[in-house]
Amino acid sequence: MNDETFINEQIEVIAVFGGGHHPVKILKFKRPSGRVIEVTELGLRHPVSNGNKTIHMFDVTDGGADYRLEFDSERLTWHLTMEADHYERVQ
Amino acid sequence: MNEFNNERPLIMHIDLNSCFATVEQQARPMLRGRPIAIINRMTEHTAIITASYEAKAKGVKVGMKFREAKALCPDIIALESDPSKYRYVYHRLLDIMKEYSAHVTMKSIDEGVIDFHNTTAEIQGRDLVEIGMEIKQRLKDEIGVWMRCNIGIATNRFLAKTAAGLHKPDGLDVITPANIHEVLGTMKMTDLTGIAHRNEKRLNSVGIFTPLEFLNTDVVTLQKIVFKSVVGRWWYDRLRGFEVDDVESDIKRVGRQYVLESFNLSQDEISQRLHHLCESVGSRMRSQHKSARGIYVYAKTLERGYWHASMMSQVPFSSDQTISLLARQLFEKAPDGLKEIGLHCYELEPIESQQVSFFNDQIVHERQVTGAVDGINNRFGERTIHSANTLGTGIYVKQKIPFGSTRYL
Repeated sequence: MNDETFINEQIEVIAVFGGGHHPVKILKFKRPSGRVIEVTELGLRHPVSNGNKTIHMFDVTDGGADYRLEFDSERLTWHLTMEADHYERVQ
Repeated sequence: MNEFNNERPLIMHIDLNSCFATVEQQARPMLRGRPIAIINRMTEHTAIITASYEAKAKGVKVGMKFREAKALCPDIIALESDPSKYRYVYHRLLDIMKEYSAHVTMKSIDEGVIDFHNTTAEIQGRDLVEIGMEIKQRLKDEIGVWMRCNIGIATNRFLAKTAAGLHKPDGLDVITPANIHEVLGTMKMTDLTGIAHRNEKRLNSVGIFTPLEFLNTDVVTLQKIVFKSVVGRWWYDRLRGFEVDDVESDIKRVGRQYVLESFNLSQDEISQRLHHLCESVGSRMRSQHKSARGIYVYAKTLERGYWHASMMSQVPFSSDQTISLLARQLFEKAPDGLKEIGLHCYELEPIESQQVSFFNDQIVHERQVTGAVDGINNRFGERTIHSANTLGTGIYVKQKIPFGSTRYL
């Protein structure tokens, strides 16, 4: 029905914090397995508030799969929470 | 009077194309160019709330069951709606629109109107088509490259919206007295916003079958024979580009509904879900500083039956406990075999204006407790504190997109 796999991996991220309309540019991230993903495009960044706490959601792609990265602005931690890399075809 | 409004068109309607699907395709580049459907729950029986243009091209329509869509378009991908994304895009669009005029009205989460009548001379001096093109580009620059919108420009809200619907996706059209006949000549009656089947029947009954015939009907016929009220006059003016829709409606009721996740739930389980809806309605109502005197509950059965009950209270109420108590009392008479439940509170009034008796300690106490709970939930997150009865319902009864109103965005 859809291709999303929901996970919760703490990851290491290399990002540039600049200015403009897209102030954070994610360059690459490393999963606990050691695999490094090079980000080719930021799809959308949007904040989600839960009370006073804000998590920034980054939907990115490496050109082969889509990923959701979450940045906790209070704890300054990054998590990979979703990946989608195949498309189910109904027979 | 049979004249058109000849003033300069200064109303711009902006409509995001297949909004939720477009936002998902913006967020997930791998989905671009593919048929996708946004649904509220990951089951095949659920209805589609938005389809991408690629899905629409294969016959998929909003409101269709996902199972039917899959039969038409086997490679369609379903995504569960993600309200926080759409809310973010709504606010970015609103920010952009507000840079051109202080008179911006969002009609829903995916469409809004800019009124350029009282904006700065500098903005007014610009060509509105040029501004429209600029807004389209800014959506791409400030949100993302996949974002598209339809823009319509006219002398009133109705014609501006009509113009925005002429060339989907990514259109920009202007309706003026010079092209109104040409535009209406290409449309069906039900293409007009506000003309659904009931109004179409009314118009058909007096021999009006096309928008052009509608336009050419005199005001007396519309007012005295077709609509039998001032509504006929409004339609007469609307079609000629005069503004009749610049009205702000006050909040009349606050409600929520829920399609049960399983059709064999026990009475207790249904009651818990109803309680959850009551907490949600109470929270929304208090966020608007309103309390209610009326409560209405309804249920739809598996046999397509509709049951409802309502009551009025002498004392206004807004606490979750009271809403839940009243709703559950009414619900005791509900039939078996339920498919959907819902409630709304009505006869709303501002909380501040209510007189509280010195001797009514219970009401004062309830307000203080409710205020404290709301304060904690606002600070630490929605449903940090809720009733023990709804402990297990959060995974089912999720907050979804409020269509038609932007009050809670």
